[in-house]
Amino acid sequence: MGAGTLAGCSSEPQGSSATPQQATITFAASTLGDPGRGPGLQKLIDEYNSSQHVVTVQPASVPYPTFGQTVLTQMGGGEGPDLVRFDMPEFSTAASSGLLEPLDDKIDAQKLKLIPGPDKYLTVDEHRYGVIFENSNYGMFYNKDLIPQAPKTFEEFVQTAKNTTKGDVYGLAFRQTQAEEAGVWQDIFNYVLGFGGDWSDGGKLTIDSPKVIEGLKAYQQLYDANVIPKGADAATFRKMFANGKVGMELNNGGYVTATKSANANLNFSVARIPFPEKKQGALLAPITINANSKHKDAALDFINWLLKPDQQVKLQEVLGASSVATPTERSAESLQKFPFLPVLDELTESGVPQIVKGFGPQTADIRHIVVSQVLAALQGQQDMATAMEKAQKQAEELVGR
Amino acid sequence: MVFQLVPLLQEVWLSFTKTTLLNPNLNVWVGMANFQSVLANPSFRQTLLTTVIYVAACVVGSVGLGLLVALLLNGRFPGRAVARSLVTVPWAAPGIAVALIATWMFNPQFGILTRTLRGMGIDPGPNGVLNNPQLALGAILVTTIWQLVPFVAVVLLSALQGVPQELVEAAQVDGAGRWMTFRVVTWQVLKPTIGLVAVLMTIWSLRRFELIWLMTRGGPLGSTRTLVIDLYAQAFESKQLGTAAAIGMVGVVIAMIVIIGGRLVANAAAKEA
Repeated sequence: MGAGTLAGCSSEPQGSSATPQQATITFAASTLGDPGRGPGLQKLIDEYNSSQHVVTVQPASVPYPTFGQTVLTQMGGGEGPDLVRFDMPEFSTAASSGLLEPLDDKIDAQKLKLIPGPDKYLTVDEHRYGVIFENSNYGMFYNKDLIPQAPKTFEEFVQTAKNTTKGDVYGLAFRQTQAEEAGVWQDIFNYVLGFGGDWSDGGKLTIDSPKVIEGLKAYQQLYDANVIPKGADAATFRKMFANGKVGMELNNGGYVTATKSANANLNFSVARIPFPEKKQGALLAPITINANSKHKDAALDFINWLLKPDQQVKLQEVLGASSVATPTERSAESLQKFPFLPVLDELTESGVPQIVKGFGPQTADIRHIVVSQVLAALQGQQDMATAMEKAQKQAEELVGR
Repeated sequence: MVFQLVPLLQEVWLSFTKTTLLNPNLNVWVGMANFQSVLANPSFRQTLLTTVIYVAACVVGSVGLGLLVALLLNGRFPGRAVARSLVTVPWAAPGIAVALIATWMFNPQFGILTRTLRGMGIDPGPNGVLNNPQLALGAILVTTIWQLVPFVAVVLLSALQGVPQELVEAAQVDGAGRWMTFRVVTWQVLKPTIGLVAVLMTIWSLRRFELIWLMTRGGPLGSTRTLVIDLYAQAFESKQLGTAAAIGMVGVVIAMIVIIGGRLVANAAAKEA
């Protein structure tokens, strides 16, 4: 891509004739507060700022746990950062509440070669509201010393988990307590998708559908098999995995770097989750423009700059095992460090964001209902089919359809 | 006064409006609609009951055990000074640390408290206490009381120091035994302090959030969902600020009843004395 149309401007806005005016804009992203990736992203922003003299991007680091509520409240009040890197639940809430700038005529997906799989989720009510900033796919992390050969089917997965569980070593780990409700949701999402189910068809909730129940029964089967460290939270079992005490866990690419940091000598790899359907959760994080922004063209200029091939490569390096908006080659260095990265990248097309399709803004409430009932089933208080019947009824009352 | 009243009035106003986190400027007046929807919700009634049980057990447990510890520390024994210092440790520990320690102690596989319970013949099941709807509230209570007792003990210990020794001796000369001396002398001196501590414990228990949120997040199946947890979920998960404010007002009303009730009891006790 050539130089910008305005002297000093960094990019050619796709389909937008507007050129940015002199402006200082803010970019809020929880990534900026991430000790592993924040400095890299900051460096990328500095590079943009020094590449031209029209737009200055100021990073705004908001801690991850309070990011959504902080930024959404600001935006709801008519203010907030110009650019926001949202996680999917907050994105769908903001988009359906009219807090984001539509980008239909500003982003040409074909021209930019945006990966269609994740990109399709950034359209709400037939309007595009963002571009993928980061896409972290879920895969099966496994300890190669404990499990030399990754299981290829669900039956092998169960058997491997059982065979690996000995003494203080567990074959598998996942979240299974109400205290980690969001984490349980992420975990069961993979089982539901992997067995061909979904929480809704986009217009109607399908929580009690046979495929959903089948996926959750698979999750329960592993829970009942006593192959996981029950009661251990994610922080604990991830430490256990890093120390060779857990054989497998389903996790997203974002944890590759963290796992390596926890134990540089850990001999681990990542494979596709061996469930019947090649479909799994993905942590999608779009970059969006605040509808309240007074400098929308300046914000768009930064997005366009970020979407250039060179910047996409650099951004992908910063983000580690996550992929970005466009098909981007991995560097030889990162492939040498993590040979399995292509496996994660290959999952991008089949990744599904962890929201309830068509009910994005109500995902948190539906999640609470579903997770509560699933955990009650794990407790043996009801079978999984009954649990999902109850969840379906409660969720329908909640959404009013 | 202004600092106290303005936020409270803001909350009162919010509770009568349809305001969401995504549109804090909405402020559409809906009258009693938020209160009606909250009070008509069966799960809110369960939340209210859980809150009452939690608060009552916290107050009775912490004041009862705190008094016992204070009486023990008031006696003479070797290492008393060290014991008095050590007893404050749970109170000094941050709530988050306490929640994490307790979660680990109740761990279904490795937890020392889980093993103790099993040793006592109480089987929390394979999933442990915190995942058992019948036992989770008990575990939260034990943890809360463990953290509150030191504060109560220290306050009551300082009140015990104020018990006139000549009155104790006079009662003993009159032939009063230990129990009688405690009832007619010590208890009379302690009563106003116990009343104050009980009111404090009630308000603190009504407000307690981090311990419950970190240990169970109000689960399993809502068995530990108190007013504050419900309020948080409504405000920051469902993003309904108006409804959350209505729940908050219910909490404020309960707190006011406790404070006024506590005052009346204290006044009656003062008249008696």
